Amino acid sequence: MSGLLENYGFLIVTIVQQALLGLSLYLPLMAGQLSLASLGFYSLGGYVAAIMGTHAWFAPWRDGLGLLLYPVEWLAALALGVVLGVAVGYPALRLRGIYLALATIAFVQVVGVAVLNLPIAGGAVGIFGIPQPFTTRLGYLWFFGPLFLFAMLLVHRLGTVGRGLPLLAIREDELAAGAMGVATTRNKVTAFVLGCALATVTGAMSAPLLNTWNARQGTFDASVTCLAYVLIGGSRSIWGPLCGAALLVGLPELLRPLQDSRMILNGLVLVIACVYLPRGIMGALAGLGKRLRAARSEAA
Amino acid sequence: MDFAWLTQSLLNGLSIGSVYAVFALGYTLVFSILGIINFAHGAVFTLGAYLTYALTVGRFGINGLLAGVSLPVTLPFFPALLVGALLSGLAGLAVEQLAFRPLRRRGADPLLALVSSLGVALIVVNCIQYLVGAEIYSFPANIFGDLPMAVIFSVGGRPVAVRTVQVILFAACLVMLAGLWWGINRTRTGKALLATAENADTARLLGIGVNHFIRGTFFLSGLLGGLSGTLIGASFGLSGPYFGVAYGLKGLAVMVLGGLGSIPGAVVGGFVIGLGEAFLPADMSSYKEAVAFVLLFAILLIRPQGLLGGSLEQKV
Repeated sequence: MSGLLENYGFLIVTIVQQALLGLSLYLPLMAGQLSLASLGFYSLGGYVAAIMGTHAWFAPWRDGLGLLLYPVEWLAALALGVVLGVAVGYPALRLRGIYLALATIAFVQVVGVAVLNLPIAGGAVGIFGIPQPFTTRLGYLWFFGPLFLFAMLLVHRLGTVGRGLPLLAIREDELAAGAMGVATTRNKVTAFVLGCALATVTGAMSAPLLNTWNARQGTFDASVTCLAYVLIGGSRSIWGPLCGAALLVGLPELLRPLQDSRMILNGLVLVIACVYLPRGIMGALAGLGKRLRAARSEAA
Repeated sequence: MDFAWLTQSLLNGLSIGSVYAVFALGYTLVFSILGIINFAHGAVFTLGAYLTYALTVGRFGINGLLAGVSLPVTLPFFPALLVGALLSGLAGLAVEQLAFRPLRRRGADPLLALVSSLGVALIVVNCIQYLVGAEIYSFPANIFGDLPMAVIFSVGGRPVAVRTVQVILFAACLVMLAGLWWGINRTRTGKALLATAENADTARLLGIGVNHFIRGTFFLSGLLGGLSGTLIGASFGLSGPYFGVAYGLKGLAVMVLGGLGSIPGAVVGGFVIGLGEAFLPADMSSYKEAVAFVLLFAILLIRPQGLLGGSLEQKV
């Protein structure tokens, strides 16, 4: 068992980490807003942790804080995520559908070019030797696990309790929701900012995990992979992002013996899942459950 | 005012801008018919460049499945360019067949088409990597035969250099844009295409074979993508199987800047971004790759329908 955990520790942690990114995209999607900005925020959050963990300015802090350094990094990343999320969200959320998606892609690309050129971010090489609190990969579950539980609770609450229902109303019909007195802009921006904050904190936790951080962490490809987690897992179920991340992170690892051709198979899985699982894995399971119950009630 | 620098930047911008325009037209055509963005367009761009490379040079590097293989025949550059473009058009058809048609038949969420086209892009790009490896390929320097490498003339006593490949880029793109404009606005087929783009259901009622036109559009889109890929590849080299990804995103910026689904918009957008990049001061050149996206972000905030797009109506 311990051997299994050691071998697959990185995989398990990566699945949770990627599921968090999926959730950060799921949050605005709850209000029907397709934003791909998550990976830009993830990248920035990672830089906050990487800079605070390695830069000379913070050396006295690091000695004083010890292990508390990490929560401080998360808080700094959170603050950045919220401020920048509001700054980007208010203007960008005037846009809808594909326009919002493209504006957020533009944001990710601009962040990518900016961090590549800012001296403090270490240029193309990035930042190395980020202090690591755990010796095994699996230890990082102490970071990601609680954040994941918290995020799931938050998403669950937003989708079931009074305050969250406006999001669902906006997703179904923004005009009608507005006419019913739902504060559409405020709710959309809230969902967007929550997603941004989650992505920056995930980034801040991921920098020590990966030990190195560079501009390749926040790419367009990765943004779309996150979208694929949500869509393939199921965009109407809070388990969707986890399900999709488990499948799409796990699959290339399981296919590793195939080496070069595994990414080709990954592409095939994306295409096939879109065609045959249009409501995602969770949607398909829900449909299956409904059919089973119907069959059983018919038999009885 | 430094007129030599201005002239040089203007020429550089027009040349690269025209390629952006042709590339973005591939997106625009598909978007105007289906209302969907084809994310595999960047992969077809890459594929076109590699196909033309294979047809002209016929030898491959030291990695990948094709390492050391030589093709029995090779073509001169211009015939190879045309064959490569036609094959890219067929690749465009294959993208439609794989990523779009099954979803359309099932009436699936348009978002899924975005992901499935990315799946196809992943397949294409990784197949290229599998076959020819990830190294950089350069077209031979004398690819255009006896033509001189560059023309140098002087403006206000300072030299301005125009590379032959830039002239070819510009001329080829102008010819294509003119041909496309004529084909769409002046032929029956083009008008049927416009009708399909306007309203597919009405067009179907009027007896227009909509599926036929969708296939035709994807072929044309692939052709334009492959051509622009080859032209860029011939001027800057093929920096690996992923070289289309950045251009794919830039093409999106071009299309939205001009107006989503607007054909003249794609042309204007291409030139605006090409010129924007060319006129970036030299000390900021490392931010060149951000120009397109800053412009995209700005235009979306100021005028979301793009420079030449119609007004955005909201369906109630």
